[in-house]
Amino acid sequence: MKRRDFFKTAAVVGVATVGSSAFGSDTTTRQPIDNRPISKINFPEKRPMITYSDRPPLLESPREVFSQTITPNDQFFVRWHLPEIPTKNDPDTYTISINGLVNKEYKITLKQLKEDFEQVEVTAVLQCGGNSRSAFQPTAGGIQWGSGAMGCARWKGVRLSDLLHRAGLKKDSEWIGFNGLDNAAYYQTPNFVRELHLSELDDHVIVAYEMNGEDLPYLNGYPVRLIIPGYYSDSWVKMLSNITVTDKYKSLFFMDVAYRVPDNETESETPDHKFKTTKPITTMNVKSVIGFPTNGEVVAYGSQLVVRGVAFDSGIGIKDVFVSVDGGKSWNTAILDDGKAGRYAYRGFRYSFKPETYGDVKIMAKAVDKLGNEQPLAEDIKWNHGGYKYNGIDVVTIKIV
Amino acid sequence: MKKIIFSTVLALSPLMAQVSQEIISPDVTYTLKEGKGLDSVQANCSMCHSFGYILNQGKQSHMFWDEKVHKMINAFKAPIAPEDIPTIVGYLSTAYGNGK
Ligand code: HEC
Repeated sequence: MKRRDFFKTAAVVGVATVGSSAFGSDTTTRQPIDNRPISKINFPEKRPMITYSDRPPLLESPREVFSQTITPNDQFFVRWHLPEIPTKNDPDTYTISINGLVNKEYKITLKQLKEDFEQVEVTAVLQCGGNSRSAFQPTAGGIQWGSGAMGCARWKGVRLSDLLHRAGLKKDSEWIGFNGLDNAAYYQTPNFVRELHLSELDDHVIVAYEMNGEDLPYLNGYPVRLIIPGYYSDSWVKMLSNITVTDKYKSLFFMDVAYRVPDNETESETPDHKFKTTKPITTMNVKSVIGFPTNGEVVAYGSQLVVRGVAFDSGIGIKDVFVSVDGGKSWNTAILDDGKAGRYAYRGFRYSFKPETYGDVKIMAKAVDKLGNEQPLAEDIKWNHGGYKYNGIDVVTIKIV
Repeated sequence: MKKIIFSTVLALSPLMAQVSQEIISPDVTYTLKEGKGLDSVQANCSMCHSFGYILNQGKQSHMFWDEKVHKMINAFKAPIAPEDIPTIVGYLSTAYGNGK
């Protein structure tokens, strides 16, 4: 990316973790780190956010964003793997190429995408598989995210299946590879290509050019990205430029090594005894995050407090969210929103209570899906080397004065 | 099934070309602590990503940093000379170490 030298001299403090860890078989899981500062400078089209890196940009939404069921575009988290991102994508000349084992290879422009196919919309949660990774101890591999590597937006675009249909899949086609315009800084570093099996790509998958009624923000993949509702975001390729149909799976670092969990029932292992076989992280587990109040908030004794947050899963649907204000001794049913945004969207919840003790009060939220899966306590979540799929009961501690 | 998930959009709404100009992304300075071997880290670890990646890991053991440097070489093909490895790991586990 183009650098702006001005900032070189600006006194900008990066984000550092204070946590520490030891190796050994002792693993613990705690609440993800939640006190990181919001950077003083903003990235293109974004408000100032928690900033882990500028090259490539890694930006996290602060907790208060999760009191809304649609994440504003300018506060939506940003996660790239590779630093060479084009500085300009011209909407008039941008094309996506569809090739490989198809009857007719073709390239499609943005205009054709918007005019030649049925336009569809879906509201869906985009969550990094490593969201909340800082909960895992010892430190698991990757960026030590708090809970803000997620967001929910209304995406508009075209069904992937319609695009593939126009090309016509050949008999042996099985895998679809997706590539975006981002590149590594070093020519030997593996490229971030994703491959998905045809069976994973149903009609819900779309190629989207619009997010919450606006063009995609540049840092969220302008002008087009893949949307795979219910799945972690590792395959939601940004600045999508190429779709290749193949009969065989190609071996790729970011598919074979990254974004995988131990292939056992609890998807866990210990640092000393890593589990030999792994599987892709695929669909999201049930999770909720409190957006208000936030940690350390000072609240007046006796004044009605409305706890707000969001809950989601892979599309099974949220049945209930329970809130505890006594450290988990008793759980109360929160009020859920009407759910009209669909099963892949955030389900907003709220719970109103009157604090009647002074001092620290712990607020906890636990979501349960329609199959009865519920969020475990953080300390009951077992370790995995990549720190993926954390979904512990969220805890916020406030002060009543 | 399809109907519940998607609402089909009929009218095409005109989009504003938000990105008609070149995007300029800010530089954030992630300053590493002074220390023996810092120059080697600066020479070997700044090609592919910011130092934010290093700072974000927090304080870690010698073994942790050793594994990270080898991950950079093996997984991401970082062109780091073998003789530089001890200096880099030494710096990281001193400046960003946890005493282990
Ligand atoms: C050839 C390119 C390259 C070089 C040189 C390089 N890295 Fe990396 N590094 C990567 C890539 C690629 C990632 C993963 C990026 C992502 O997924 O966001 C990464 C990630 C990391 C992470 C995050 C933790 C993790 O497990 O992924 C740390 C810490 C890190 N690098 C430290 C270093 C250090 C220290 C050096 C110097 C010895 C270094 N890097 C040099 C390519 C490189």
